[in-house]
Amino acid sequence: MSVFPPGVALQVLAPDPSERPPPRFAAAPITAQYRIAAEHYLLRLRDPQIARGAPGQFVMIKPTRALEVHPQLPRPMAVYRYLPASEEFEIVYRVVGTGTRVLSERAAGEVAEVMGPVGQPFRLRPGLAGLLLIGRGIGTCSLTAAAERAAAQGARVYAVVSARRREFLVGLDLFARLEAEVLAVNDADGTSAPARVGAFVAPLVEAGRVQQILVCGSHRLIALAVRLAAPYGVEVQVSLEAHMACGIGYCHGCSHGAVGESEEAPLVCRDGPVFRCLQVEAA
Amino acid sequence: MRETIPDSDGSERAPATPYNDPRLAVDLGRGLRLQNPVMPASGCFGPEMGALVDLNQLGALVTKTIFYHPRAGNPSPRLAETPAGMLNSVGIPSRGVAHFLEHILPAYTRYQVPTIVSIGGLSVREYWDLAARLDGVPGVAALEVNISCPNLEAGGLEIGANPRHVAAVIEGVVQRFAGPVIAKLTPNVTRIADIARAAEDAGATAISAINTFVAMAIDVRSRRPRTGTPTAGLSGPAIKPLALRMVWEVARTVQVPVIGMGGISNAEDALEFILAGATAVAIGTANFPRPTAMHETILGLRAFLDAEGIGHIHDLVGTLRYEPFGAVGTLDAAREATMGPSWPSPEQPREPR
Repeated sequence: MSVFPPGVALQVLAPDPSERPPPRFAAAPITAQYRIAAEHYLLRLRDPQIARGAPGQFVMIKPTRALEVHPQLPRPMAVYRYLPASEEFEIVYRVVGTGTRVLSERAAGEVAEVMGPVGQPFRLRPGLAGLLLIGRGIGTCSLTAAAERAAAQGARVYAVVSARRREFLVGLDLFARLEAEVLAVNDADGTSAPARVGAFVAPLVEAGRVQQILVCGSHRLIALAVRLAAPYGVEVQVSLEAHMACGIGYCHGCSHGAVGESEEAPLVCRDGPVFRCLQVEAA
Repeated sequence: MRETIPDSDGSERAPATPYNDPRLAVDLGRGLRLQNPVMPASGCFGPEMGALVDLNQLGALVTKTIFYHPRAGNPSPRLAETPAGMLNSVGIPSRGVAHFLEHILPAYTRYQVPTIVSIGGLSVREYWDLAARLDGVPGVAALEVNISCPNLEAGGLEIGANPRHVAAVIEGVVQRFAGPVIAKLTPNVTRIADIARAAEDAGATAISAINTFVAMAIDVRSRRPRTGTPTAGLSGPAIKPLALRMVWEVARTVQVPVIGMGGISNAEDALEFILAGATAVAIGTANFPRPTAMHETILGLRAFLDAEGIGHIHDLVGTLRYEPFGAVGTLDAAREATMGPSWPSPEQPREPR
């Protein structure tokens, strides 16, 4: 376990007994790619195995066409939606650098080299009545598949969707389709202060309307969720991001730092990206 | 696991596949024989890859470097992408040799290809202790002595850049470990051939060249290094021409087999290293974007033998054609004038093995 952020400890989840497809490396046909916001794209790919992955898992996707050597590394990306009926899955990403720019130039009809599904999924409780999702920026895209899964299992979905600017809010259409109760906030409008988010979250927790909270994209929101949830026994799971090279645990590039002199912190790719969060004394 | 069928003499033999084509088999000395010349580079591989590709089709498996005592590795971020390459400052986390023998080695030895165990040390003594501990352990086909990691607080570069220290480490390892001992060299030296010769003279049965280049990248807005430690190791296609030149210099200098590595992504890259004198090659960074890179390279080598009518991969090793008194000769002459005649004369290129 490592302390991150202050006041929060990460706990590696116990092995997941559910049946999941093993990861594979494949050339997946791109079936659609379109711009959904100023800097955001939705990419749909076909792969029967990855399409049966679990919410919270991710794929490693090589941005370039097969033989190009730059950018070299594949990008870890959360699966935004699973579409098992058509053997497809979707990724939503924001163009932030060379890799995502090159990826945004790919088109339907091409193939993309992908490896997945990999990583620990979110663990939704059986009989879950209410699920709260707290997403910041592109991190919200790690939570959408879990929202769909929870709603399909009969849970009521609540969501806080936060971003720097209004046009960077993602997933709102998906949450609307699930009839989720949504608080959308952004920094530019001055609506994203922790107090305002807390005012939305606290009553849900206190009234027992949500039993689990899933967070991605903000250390500050992770700390907020843990602080509000801990007194009521509401479980908080987070999905972390990290630079990765291999995605399956052998390169050790994504370790969440060192723990002491001789122990390596958990690997985000293999031990995560989903971890449980526990409240601890702030250092 | 690969199925085996009885041979005419009663021994078990694997069925013929493109990956165990006898024309690709290579000998790296002291009994280390590979079905083909392609293996992963240490640190860029783990048995986890067995979920994606058939590891029994490789020439060998190579472990991430292990240390005698557990160590955590470096702070994050440990990776940064750079043009046609990547920086890593992973710093070799290791849970120590006892954990390795109990929990990690079995994941390798369930495969039938040789496992080469990469060993590291923060002191000369740590290398020796590891060698003693691994001597006679079933499934350890060879040691690769990592005297070249640029991300260690001590040990890697201080040892690997100094021929006397290299000799001390290798001599002690060879005394304690009866099997093949491969010295893995750093490129962060002025004359890699001198280091290679020191390792060979100390008893190394093969040379791996090269490890990563010490390098760095800076985020100009935060004014911070892009990796958790200010400097990191550069790998990938960006370093391939540099690696190739160094492998050529090493192979001209030593008599033992050379394993070439540094930015190799495909069969054409591998062939360049083989022509420069490498008997085998290792693939590292290319495994990340393409876990099938090693397999495609093996198939590509075989296709090259077919297309060029070459009987065995051996027939290509060190067969670079060049004019000793052309551009290369001029470079050699300049080098000799400034550095002294410490490597074989270009007029007498080493015989191909």
